Amino acid sequence: MALAHLSLIGILLRFLLGGAAVVVASLIAKRAGGAVGGIFAAFPAVFLAALLTMRFDYGARELVAHSMDLSQGALIGMAINVACAAAAGYLCTSKGWKKGLTLSVGGWLLVSFTISYVLFSL
Amino acid sequence: MKLRELLLRFVLGGLAVVLSYMASALLPWKALGGIFAAFPAVMVVAVLMVGLSQGSEKAAAVARGSVYGMTGCAVCVVTVWYALKITGAWWPSLMLGLIGWFAGSFALLKVREKVQKNQHLHRLPRKQTKHV
Repeated sequence: MALAHLSLIGILLRFLLGGAAVVVASLIAKRAGGAVGGIFAAFPAVFLAALLTMRFDYGARELVAHSMDLSQGALIGMAINVACAAAAGYLCTSKGWKKGLTLSVGGWLLVSFTISYVLFSL
Repeated sequence: MKLRELLLRFVLGGLAVVLSYMASALLPWKALGGIFAAFPAVMVVAVLMVGLSQGSEKAAAVARGSVYGMTGCAVCVVTVWYALKITGAWWPSLMLGLIGWFAGSFALLKVREKVQKNQHLHRLPRKQTKHV
Protein backbone atom coordinates (compact mmCIF):
# COMPACT_ATOMS: atom_id res chain seq x y z
CA MET A 1 0.00 0.00 0.00
CA ALA A 2 1.22 3.50 -0.84
CA LEU A 3 0.72 4.80 2.69
CA ALA A 4 3.21 2.25 3.99
CA HIS A 5 6.01 4.36 2.45
CA LEU A 6 5.22 7.22 4.81
CA SER A 7 6.63 7.10 8.30
CA LEU A 8 4.84 8.82 11.18
CA ILE A 9 8.14 9.96 12.71
CA GLY A 10 9.13 11.35 9.30
CA ILE A 11 5.91 13.35 9.09
CA LEU A 12 6.25 14.65 12.66
CA LEU A 13 9.90 15.65 12.23
CA ARG A 14 9.15 17.50 8.99
CA PHE A 15 6.19 19.28 10.55
CA LEU A 16 8.22 20.45 13.57
CA LEU A 17 11.33 21.49 11.63
CA GLY A 18 9.37 23.18 8.80
CA GLY A 19 7.06 25.05 11.18
CA ALA A 20 9.90 26.19 13.45
CA ALA A 21 11.97 27.41 10.47
CA VAL A 22 9.11 29.58 9.11
CA VAL A 23 8.41 31.07 12.58
CA VAL A 24 12.12 31.86 13.21
CA ALA A 25 12.53 33.29 9.66
CA SER A 26 9.49 35.58 10.09
CA LEU A 27 10.57 36.78 13.55
CA ILE A 28 14.13 37.47 12.44
CA ALA A 29 12.95 39.17 9.21
CA LYS A 30 10.96 41.59 11.35
CA ARG A 31 13.69 42.29 13.92
CA ALA A 32 17.06 41.90 12.18
CA GLY A 33 16.03 42.46 8.54
CA GLY A 34 14.90 40.35 5.62
CA ALA A 35 18.34 39.11 4.56
CA VAL A 36 19.15 37.36 7.88
CA GLY A 37 15.53 36.14 8.06
CA GLY A 38 16.00 34.69 4.58
CA ILE A 39 18.92 32.58 5.80
CA PHE A 40 16.55 30.91 8.25
CA ALA A 41 13.89 30.59 5.53
CA ALA A 42 16.42 28.34 3.82
CA PHE A 43 16.99 26.18 6.92
CA PRO A 44 17.69 22.67 5.58
CA ALA A 45 14.56 21.28 7.28
CA VAL A 46 13.74 18.73 4.57
CA PHE A 47 17.33 17.44 4.36
CA LEU A 48 17.74 17.15 8.15
CA ALA A 49 14.32 15.52 8.59
CA ALA A 50 15.20 12.98 5.87
CA LEU A 51 18.50 12.19 7.63
CA LEU A 52 16.85 11.92 11.06
CA THR A 53 14.10 9.66 9.67
CA MET A 54 16.80 7.34 8.30
CA ARG A 55 18.07 6.86 11.83
CA PHE A 56 14.88 4.99 12.62
CA ASP A 57 15.01 2.86 9.48
CA TYR A 58 18.62 1.67 9.30
CA GLY A 59 21.27 0.12 11.53
CA ALA A 60 24.54 1.89 12.36
CA ARG A 61 26.57 0.62 9.37
CA GLU A 62 23.82 1.09 6.76
CA LEU A 63 22.92 4.49 8.19
CA VAL A 64 26.21 6.13 7.19
CA ALA A 65 26.11 4.71 3.64
CA HIS A 66 22.47 5.73 3.08
CA SER A 67 23.07 9.19 4.56
CA MET A 68 25.95 9.72 2.11
CA ASP A 69 23.70 8.67 -0.81
CA LEU A 70 21.01 11.09 0.35
CA SER A 71 23.54 13.94 0.64
CA GLN A 72 24.74 13.37 -2.94
CA GLY A 73 21.18 13.52 -4.28
CA ALA A 74 20.29 16.54 -2.17
CA LEU A 75 23.11 18.60 -3.70
CA ILE A 76 21.31 18.77 -7.09
CA GLY A 77 18.11 19.91 -5.35
CA MET A 78 20.01 22.59 -3.40
CA ALA A 79 21.54 23.98 -6.61
CA ILE A 80 18.06 24.36 -8.18
CA ASN A 81 16.81 25.97 -4.96
CA VAL A 82 19.61 28.58 -5.03
CA ALA A 83 18.46 29.56 -8.55
CA CYS A 84 14.79 29.59 -7.43
CA ALA A 85 15.57 31.87 -4.46
CA ALA A 86 17.58 34.23 -6.70
CA ALA A 87 14.68 34.36 -9.18
CA ALA A 88 12.20 35.03 -6.35
CA GLY A 89 14.39 37.84 -4.98
CA TYR A 90 14.56 39.50 -8.41
CA LEU A 91 10.94 38.90 -9.47
CA CYS A 92 9.38 39.91 -6.11
CA THR A 93 11.04 43.33 -6.53
CA SER A 94 10.18 43.82 -10.21
CA LYS A 95 6.72 42.19 -10.39
CA GLY A 96 5.44 42.23 -6.80
CA TRP A 97 5.56 39.29 -4.37
CA LYS A 98 2.47 37.41 -5.66
CA LYS A 99 3.54 37.23 -9.29
CA GLY A 100 7.21 36.94 -8.36
CA LEU A 101 6.68 33.96 -6.06
CA THR A 102 4.30 32.22 -8.50
CA LEU A 103 6.73 32.61 -11.40
CA SER A 104 9.76 31.42 -9.45
CA VAL A 105 7.92 28.36 -8.04
CA GLY A 106 6.69 27.62 -11.60
CA GLY A 107 10.27 27.90 -12.85
CA TRP A 108 11.47 25.61 -10.03
CA LEU A 109 8.86 22.98 -11.02
CA LEU A 110 9.84 23.15 -14.68
CA VAL A 111 13.62 22.92 -14.07
CA SER A 112 13.30 20.19 -11.39
CA PHE A 113 10.90 18.15 -13.50
CA THR A 114 13.15 18.39 -16.58
CA ILE A 115 16.25 17.36 -14.59
CA SER A 116 14.41 14.51 -12.81
CA TYR A 117 12.91 13.32 -16.10
CA VAL A 118 16.35 13.26 -17.75
CA LEU A 119 17.91 11.48 -14.73
CA PHE A 120 15.14 8.86 -14.51
CA SER A 121 15.02 8.19 -18.23
CA LEU A 122 18.78 7.61 -18.46
CA MET B 1 3.76 39.51 16.24
CA LYS B 2 0.80 37.87 17.97
CA LEU B 3 0.93 34.31 19.26
CA ARG B 4 -1.98 33.32 16.99
CA GLU B 5 -0.18 34.60 13.91
CA LEU B 6 3.01 32.77 14.90
CA LEU B 7 1.03 29.56 15.41
CA LEU B 8 -0.52 29.94 11.95
CA ARG B 9 2.96 30.39 10.43
CA PHE B 10 4.18 27.31 12.32
CA VAL B 11 1.28 25.17 11.08
CA LEU B 12 1.58 26.42 7.47
CA GLY B 13 5.37 25.89 7.39
CA GLY B 14 5.05 22.42 8.90
CA LEU B 15 2.21 21.47 6.55
CA ALA B 16 4.11 22.64 3.46
CA VAL B 17 7.10 20.43 4.32
CA VAL B 18 4.86 17.46 5.22
CA LEU B 19 2.87 17.84 1.96
CA SER B 20 6.04 17.90 -0.15
CA TYR B 21 7.20 14.74 1.70
CA MET B 22 3.83 13.07 1.01
CA ALA B 23 3.98 14.10 -2.65
CA SER B 24 7.50 12.67 -2.98
CA ALA B 25 6.43 9.36 -1.39
CA LEU B 26 2.94 8.91 -2.84
CA LEU B 27 2.97 10.27 -6.41
CA PRO B 28 2.93 7.31 -8.82
CA TRP B 29 5.22 9.05 -11.34
CA LYS B 30 8.71 8.62 -9.92
CA ALA B 31 10.25 11.61 -11.70
CA LEU B 32 7.49 13.93 -10.49
CA GLY B 33 7.47 12.50 -6.95
CA GLY B 34 11.25 12.67 -6.57
CA ILE B 35 11.46 16.39 -7.21
CA PHE B 36 9.17 17.22 -4.30
CA ALA B 37 11.72 15.74 -1.88
CA ALA B 38 13.75 18.92 -2.49
CA PHE B 39 10.87 21.43 -2.74
CA PRO B 40 11.88 24.69 -0.98
CA ALA B 41 8.65 24.61 1.09
CA VAL B 42 9.98 26.64 4.02
CA MET B 43 11.23 29.44 1.74
CA VAL B 44 7.97 29.59 -0.24
CA VAL B 45 5.85 29.81 2.94
CA ALA B 46 8.24 32.34 4.56
CA VAL B 47 8.17 34.61 1.45
CA LEU B 48 4.37 34.21 1.24
CA MET B 49 3.80 35.11 4.90
CA VAL B 50 6.22 38.07 4.86
CA GLY B 51 4.65 39.23 1.55
CA LEU B 52 1.16 39.10 3.08
CA SER B 53 2.09 40.96 6.26
CA GLN B 54 4.96 43.26 5.21
CA GLY B 55 4.69 43.71 1.43
CA SER B 56 6.80 42.97 -1.67
CA GLU B 57 9.98 44.75 -0.58
CA LYS B 58 10.42 42.69 2.60
CA ALA B 59 9.34 39.49 0.78
CA ALA B 60 12.03 40.15 -1.86
CA ALA B 61 14.60 40.74 0.91
CA VAL B 62 13.70 37.37 2.49
CA ALA B 63 14.00 35.66 -0.92
CA ARG B 64 17.37 37.33 -1.56
CA GLY B 65 18.53 36.32 1.93
CA SER B 66 17.49 32.75 1.25
CA VAL B 67 19.90 32.67 -1.73
CA TYR B 68 22.68 32.80 0.91
CA GLY B 69 20.77 30.29 3.06
CA MET B 70 20.33 27.89 0.11
CA THR B 71 24.03 28.19 -0.74
CA GLY B 72 24.65 27.46 2.94
CA CYS B 73 22.45 24.36 2.50
CA ALA B 74 24.78 23.18 -0.26
CA VAL B 75 27.72 23.74 2.14
CA CYS B 76 25.77 21.75 4.78
CA VAL B 77 25.16 18.83 2.40
CA VAL B 78 28.81 18.72 1.25
CA THR B 79 30.04 18.99 4.87
CA VAL B 80 27.78 16.11 6.00
CA TRP B 81 28.97 13.98 3.06
CA TYR B 82 32.68 14.64 3.71
CA ALA B 83 32.38 14.31 7.49
CA LEU B 84 30.56 10.97 7.09
CA LYS B 85 33.18 9.79 4.61
CA ILE B 86 36.12 10.75 6.81
CA THR B 87 34.81 10.00 10.32
CA GLY B 88 31.81 7.70 9.78
CA ALA B 89 30.33 9.33 12.90
CA TRP B 90 26.68 10.20 12.22
CA TRP B 91 25.72 12.74 14.92
CA PRO B 92 28.97 14.81 14.76
CA SER B 93 28.64 14.91 10.94
CA LEU B 94 25.08 16.21 11.25
CA MET B 95 26.15 18.90 13.74
CA LEU B 96 29.09 19.90 11.53
CA GLY B 97 26.68 20.19 8.60
CA LEU B 98 24.44 22.55 10.60
CA ILE B 99 27.43 24.68 11.59
CA GLY B 100 28.50 24.66 7.92
CA TRP B 101 25.02 25.84 6.85
CA PHE B 102 24.96 28.82 9.20
CA ALA B 103 28.64 29.79 8.86
CA GLY B 104 28.51 29.48 5.05
CA SER B 105 25.29 31.49 4.71
CA PHE B 106 26.37 34.22 7.10
CA ALA B 107 29.88 34.55 5.62
CA LEU B 108 28.40 34.87 2.12
CA LEU B 109 25.94 37.52 3.28
CA LYS B 110 28.74 39.52 4.94
CA VAL B 111 31.00 39.26 1.87
CA ARG B 112 28.14 40.44 -0.37
CA GLU B 113 27.40 43.37 1.95
CA LYS B 114 31.08 44.36 1.95
CA VAL B 115 31.30 44.18 -1.86
CA GLN B 116 28.14 46.29 -2.20
CA LYS B 117 29.53 48.85 0.27
CA ASN B 118 32.82 49.05 -1.67
CA GLN B 119 30.96 49.47 -4.97
CA HIS B 120 28.90 52.25 -3.43
CA LEU B 121 32.03 54.01 -2.12
CA HIS B 122 33.72 53.80 -5.54
CA ARG B 123 30.68 55.26 -7.28
CA LEU B 124 30.40 58.24 -4.93
CA PRO B 125 33.43 60.37 -6.02
CA ARG B 126 32.40 60.19 -9.70
CA LYS B 127 28.98 61.64 -8.87
CA GLN B 128 30.59 64.42 -6.85
CA THR B 129 32.92 65.46 -9.67
CA LYS B 130 29.92 65.85 -11.98
CA HIS B 131 28.42 68.44 -9.68
CA VAL B 132 31.65 70.48 -9.38
